Amino acid sequence: MKKKSFFLVIIVFLLALIIPVTHAKAANDNYLQKVKDKGTLVVGTSADYPPYEFTAKENGKTKYVGLDISLAEKFAKDIGVKLEVKNMNFDSLLVALETHKIDMVIAGMNPTPERQKSVSFSKIYYTGDQYMLINKKDAAHFRKIKDFKGKTIGAQTGSLQYSLVKQQMKGNDVKGLAKLNDLVIALQSQKVNAVAMEEATAKAFAENNRNLKVIDPGFDIDASQTGSAIGFSKGADSLVNAANKTIDEVKKDNLINKEYIPAAAKNMTTNGKKNSMLNYWTYFAKGIEYTLIITVVSVFFGFVLGTLFALMRLSRNKLTHGLAVSYIEFVRGTPLMVQVMFVYFGIGAVIQSLPALIAGIIAVSLNSAAYVAEVIRSGIESIPAGQTEASRSLGLSQKETYRYIIIPQALKNIWPALGNEFVTLIKESSIVSIIGVTDIMYQMQLVQSATYKGVIPIFIAMIIYFIMTFGLSKVLGYFEGKMKHA
Amino acid sequence: MPNLIEVQNLGKSFGDNEVLKDINEVVKKGQVICVIGPSGSGKSTFLRCLNVLEEPTAGKVLFEGNSLTGISENELNNLREKMGMVFQSFNLFPNMNVIENIKLAPLRVKKLSDDEATKQAQDLLERVGLADKAEQYPQSLSGGQQQRVAIARALAMNPEVMLFDEPTSALDPEMVGEVLKVMKDLAESGMTMVVVTHEMGFAKSVADEIWFMADGAIQEKGNPETFFNAPKTERAQDFLSKILI
Repeated sequence: MKKKSFFLVIIVFLLALIIPVTHAKAANDNYLQKVKDKGTLVVGTSADYPPYEFTAKENGKTKYVGLDISLAEKFAKDIGVKLEVKNMNFDSLLVALETHKIDMVIAGMNPTPERQKSVSFSKIYYTGDQYMLINKKDAAHFRKIKDFKGKTIGAQTGSLQYSLVKQQMKGNDVKGLAKLNDLVIALQSQKVNAVAMEEATAKAFAENNRNLKVIDPGFDIDASQTGSAIGFSKGADSLVNAANKTIDEVKKDNLINKEYIPAAAKNMTTNGKKNSMLNYWTYFAKGIEYTLIITVVSVFFGFVLGTLFALMRLSRNKLTHGLAVSYIEFVRGTPLMVQVMFVYFGIGAVIQSLPALIAGIIAVSLNSAAYVAEVIRSGIESIPAGQTEASRSLGLSQKETYRYIIIPQALKNIWPALGNEFVTLIKESSIVSIIGVTDIMYQMQLVQSATYKGVIPIFIAMIIYFIMTFGLSKVLGYFEGKMKHA
Repeated sequence: MPNLIEVQNLGKSFGDNEVLKDINEVVKKGQVICVIGPSGSGKSTFLRCLNVLEEPTAGKVLFEGNSLTGISENELNNLREKMGMVFQSFNLFPNMNVIENIKLAPLRVKKLSDDEATKQAQDLLERVGLADKAEQYPQSLSGGQQQRVAIARALAMNPEVMLFDEPTSALDPEMVGEVLKVMKDLAESGMTMVVVTHEMGFAKSVADEIWFMADGAIQEKGNPETFFNAPKTERAQDFLSKILI
């Protein structure tokens, strides 16, 4: 149903070069035993895909629901362990599997031959049809594939639908976005004319939005490509066999159609009734909490490390100078998004228990340090040499000169630039949502999924970010005033 | 009188540019020496070599018999404490007020208590005539006042010698007098001083010895009377003929 993206292939390839973990472990298959030993089955999913997996609110708490989650719960019960769900971008799931951050992937994932090269799949547990979501007012002239001639079709990047549209609607432009919610927004604002979508998902969106309609455009579908299966690390046959046993039972009793989908549908409709944003303020509150944690901790370490790198760069020692310059240039020359993914999946492959929040904080701090270092260096270099000479001639050491003379004056000069960097940090921290840190951005996406509303959550998130950055600017301005003598 | 500073075969080059050439001189305790000469002659560099703000490229500088070169940073800091320096551009610390400027080194280097340091700073401000400016910030003072604070700041470390690097060159003419007066008082109190200056009147009346520098070397030295009335070298005669009106 969804396909591995090119980006993912590159990351996996790089990781495989650096950390040859998988091969060593595939030799003796103790995967099932390992899961039993730790007592928890860690399941990765991408919870924006009703009815397969999505979030619902119960007694004020967010929980993951959907037919995939129900199936995962049964599987965990069958092998006698607890279930832990890790939510992340669909694109990140297979990397997480390869780096052993999760034990299995259940995300309506389709076992394409391409994926089977790096993943061991269970039997197919569910097969859904591929439909199209359109605006209701277009219902009269969009019925079948041929009616869409020259129109733009949206589909989730890396998904089966995306390749279906590519292959079977050659005269059309395909617009690929990572999130279904964003695609639906694009549909409602006429950026695309239709969105190719899994049957049940499409129906869920239509049910929750009066202006949308589901049609069956008649994709020519190869049955072996539309079913969903559970993904495991390559060679984890013990887990695959155990999962197949569970799937057999589920199929025998027709649990998916009889129990799981109705349960999911119930969650979807109750969600639909609570579509007022007020009901979701706890989502945003949690997002603010995490964004603040990341920002405050990263500002602190960014500043400390930044000062260190600035002093190293100013040092006369060629080695420390060179190290600092290389670090600063490298970090400034690579995107924060890639750094976040590298810390989480790369370093996380060595330190298996590295939580996403810590990984996010490490990446953002290290990134910020490089920029802060340059700001501080410019501040230090702006202080006239006479200040140092006066201080040294009084017998103060270099360290004391920095501490009492140079740094206080430099700080005052660079304060606006430093403040700017911290405001940027609040905004840039939103990137950690891609590895599943529950910051404002991430919570916003959850609310989008839960309410089937696209724009309002974005607007709220925007306002929250603005209040935070504006508040910070005011605080910094206050301290700038206090330093007027310095 | 014992030797306070001994300069032995001192040389300084910036790349290919040889600024100081093989200088050998002695400053005795209690002496006031004025270093004069045309601009670009190496006067300031010479003075800055005395407390190693410029690292000599040849020879050495001894202070009370201890070499200032080839020693650890710590040892250098200990020796520098005893050599006060006053700069052309004052170099007061703008992030501190006047009294904090003066107290900084006594507190941090000499580890005086705050009370002692404050008391001493107030006495020094009194001495340079700025007792009422203690809480002001440097930017709000005139150039002459700033330079007097800078002198007080250097004196706060009870130095054995004071080095002045053209202390009045950046001042408006009406402020030169107040700074020179403080320096004259200081000289009369017995302080050893090395003063790089263009103030010939001051040199004439205060100096024990004039060192005339040109082309990176001390060309001629002697007491002010002899030097100003009967310079021996052609360079000095030429220089004096240009500046004396």
